[in-house]
Amino acid sequence: MSEMKKIKNLKEFSTSADRFEGANLLCPGCAHSIIVREVLNATNDDLVLAASTGCLEVCTAVYPYTSWDASWIHIGFENGSTAVSGAEAMYKALKTKGRLKQPDRNPKFVAFGGDGASYDIGFQWISGCMERNHDMMYVVLDNEVYANTGGQRSSSTPIGASATTTPAGSISYGETRNKKDMMGIMAAHNIPYAAQVAPNKWKDMVKKIQKGFATEGAVFINAVSPCTTEWKFDPKDTMHLADLATDTLVFPLYEIIDGHELNITYRPKNVVPVEEYLAAQGRFRHLFKDEYKYLIKEWQERVDANWAYLNRREEARV
Amino acid sequence: MENNGWNEFEIGAMLRTFDGAIEDIAGTRQEDRNYTQNSSFTASVADWRLEKPVFNKDYCIDCQFCWVYCPDISIISRDKKVIGVDMDHCKGCGICVEVCPTNPKSLLMFSEQTDEESAIAGWPTKEDKEK
Repeated sequence: MSEMKKIKNLKEFSTSADRFEGANLLCPGCAHSIIVREVLNATNDDLVLAASTGCLEVCTAVYPYTSWDASWIHIGFENGSTAVSGAEAMYKALKTKGRLKQPDRNPKFVAFGGDGASYDIGFQWISGCMERNHDMMYVVLDNEVYANTGGQRSSSTPIGASATTTPAGSISYGETRNKKDMMGIMAAHNIPYAAQVAPNKWKDMVKKIQKGFATEGAVFINAVSPCTTEWKFDPKDTMHLADLATDTLVFPLYEIIDGHELNITYRPKNVVPVEEYLAAQGRFRHLFKDEYKYLIKEWQERVDANWAYLNRREEARV
Repeated sequence: MENNGWNEFEIGAMLRTFDGAIEDIAGTRQEDRNYTQNSSFTASVADWRLEKPVFNKDYCIDCQFCWVYCPDISIISRDKKVIGVDMDHCKGCGICVEVCPTNPKSLLMFSEQTDEESAIAGWPTKEDKEK
């Protein structure tokens, strides 16, 4: 069963039998489940899953229901990654001792976490998993805010975003610090594979996930997950927001192999000004007031600088 | 199961989503799975909806955008064809309508009370593209 699932086009992909169920309690239009489905459907192999506390975890395991048709463990805020790495270590040990009942099944180990559980609370634990280079995948569902607990800022929240602990008002424009470069940090562990993905580019995403599954060693995936509740947009516009995120290069799609080989996997034909991305979200509405307009210009400069940096890294292979 | 309260649950207990074992879950469609009451598949979130999507197969080109971008696994697709919407699990977010590329769209939102036949009878015709 460990052969890679062949997915040439969307029609072929649509023959997948979902292992994630509906009637979970995620908000209508939540991108989390779109990402989870794309990850789970990328393989036919058995799955060992964990979710750190966050929207995904509390909404998919509400007593007496579970939305997962795979081995899934509900665990603390910080140690979803560690639980899966432990399961992986046990699997390897049993395999070496020849004590597996079905040694040919080749399960895949995946941990999901929100940006709060990954960028802040579970940070050192993920770092440990990456450093020990377990054969597992860690997927961040990055919605740039603690959405589950009421929209507090996380270290993923970008400059200018209004969160409940960094509210915008007459004396503040919201979050003042920039988003943590998690991809850079994780790649610096020299892990075999790290990639940034977006749900709207399903083919790019499935390709990266399959590459991650085929890789032996730790894999880090950062997925942008537009949050209809905290980014404040209409639920039907989730995919539009994801499109804007990738086409404005706010979330450039790229991969880093062995910590140094950077490949940009998606170059938008028409790069959209960042202003449109900001204008589509309620959390940035105050930036369009006269006194804060300079921040939009700074946003554009930051995104351009980051894009130039990624291009230089791609060229230099460092 | 239904009579057990959360505090009667054994610590470290496991919720089983199926009765019996399924050898090849990735190759077993939802209609062939024997779900227990622990699977949220058996629950319904239909009462979350204010508007429901109606599927008109006459215009559908089976591109499967709605299937891949549905957050609630509510677009039922079998043998590469879209066959309908799962009304128990649809929360009425409207993403499927937004991503539908056909002209006119093959999925449109209607109020929850509209019946499907009258919705399809009054389906809009092809729109000219704005230039």
